[in-house]
Amino acid sequence: MFSQYFGQYLLNHGFLSPEQLYQALEAQQAAHVKLGVLAMSEGFLTASQVEEIHQEQTRRDQRFGEIALAKGYLTQEQLDSLLASQRKGHLLLGQALIDAKILNLNQLGRALKEYQEEHSLSDEQFSAVQGGDFSLLLRKTLNLDDQDQVLNDYLSLFAKNIIRFISSQAWLTRCVNNETAVGDWSVVQQISGSPSLTTAIAGSQQSILKLASLFAKEEIKDMDELAQASVAEFLNLHNGLFLVNMSNQGTELKLEPQVINKAGFVTNQNCQVFEVNMVQDKFSLIIEMKG
Amino acid sequence: MGGKQLSVLVVDDSLLVRKQLRGILEEQGCTVLEATNGSQAFQTIETSQPDLILMDIVMPEQDGIEALRKIKEVKPGTKVVMVSSVGTQSYLKEAIKIGAYDFLQKPINAEAIHRLLTNLRKGECGA
Repeated sequence: MFSQYFGQYLLNHGFLSPEQLYQALEAQQAAHVKLGVLAMSEGFLTASQVEEIHQEQTRRDQRFGEIALAKGYLTQEQLDSLLASQRKGHLLLGQALIDAKILNLNQLGRALKEYQEEHSLSDEQFSAVQGGDFSLLLRKTLNLDDQDQVLNDYLSLFAKNIIRFISSQAWLTRCVNNETAVGDWSVVQQISGSPSLTTAIAGSQQSILKLASLFAKEEIKDMDELAQASVAEFLNLHNGLFLVNMSNQGTELKLEPQVINKAGFVTNQNCQVFEVNMVQDKFSLIIEMKG
Repeated sequence: MGGKQLSVLVVDDSLLVRKQLRGILEEQGCTVLEATNGSQAFQTIETSQPDLILMDIVMPEQDGIEALRKIKEVKPGTKVVMVSSVGTQSYLKEAIKIGAYDFLQKPINAEAIHRLLTNLRKGECGA
């Protein structure tokens, strides 16, 4: 899941174009991460050391890890941890970008370093984020308050659910709350109890149709009952799963039926607004915490 | 697959869920009735006797728990399975206490529906 967020960072910082990002996100499914890229992302090797080992490999029939050990660039322990990460598929996006020659090793190394610094991640935290610590990734990327556990949990589950039910290439960003109407269509669902929340999905007709089609797994062209039911059911499913998680932590909440509006959602000062980015489309998620 | 053709009443306010459940159930050889909320479900069982009811919980007008209570009062032998995204401790306990036959957590899983129907058919044959 780091891929979607790192990809967005690369896009925002001019490392690549949207087309290149989508191409790389597609290609990462088939990419095989090489140890050099991983070692660099972990901060074990510099880009020039990786290049040097690659050069050696063209002359000697030896594996990357063997040469790195022989040169004293990596310890056995570091190599073992890299091999374990490789099996888990860390940093497939970075490898896909290298393979497609969109970035070179130096540029990838620089981007990783800048990403880590910009999000104030320690080496351990950066490693955890790349290894799948999703709540830490979101907390840092969306600038969430550490103390606001409910919001952290809600968003962490939502970000997982959009990947699970909507698109493997979807990611969240935070938006400024302008206290205006968001979107042309909205689905609102109340969660009551303590805490109490208003949750909403809002967007243009086109983005809501895309969301409806992706969730229903069939193409829906008009904002008919099926389209509305699909978006409403996605919000209901996510909120239901959130209630299950809260219940497992000992907090019982109640879910009210969803309300579908052919109008945007008007935010107030207590709302937090997030954008859900899909390939070439986006919709908004709005959360109002009522204590 | 042996066994009689089961009739199943699907109660869910979502057209998408009703459509998905209908697809799975018909593939399993069931006949399907539909209702969009608890009170409509109640009206349906007054005129027909489905072998099984699959019922959502969060619905407008009358929610699934309330509908389950009413159905169990009037026709205690009716097998009602709650199919909901809110499988929380409190909803689960409440549903089981009132007499729900089972509880399936959404998202809908064709395998789980298949297992449920198999168990039901075994039960119908008499163990």
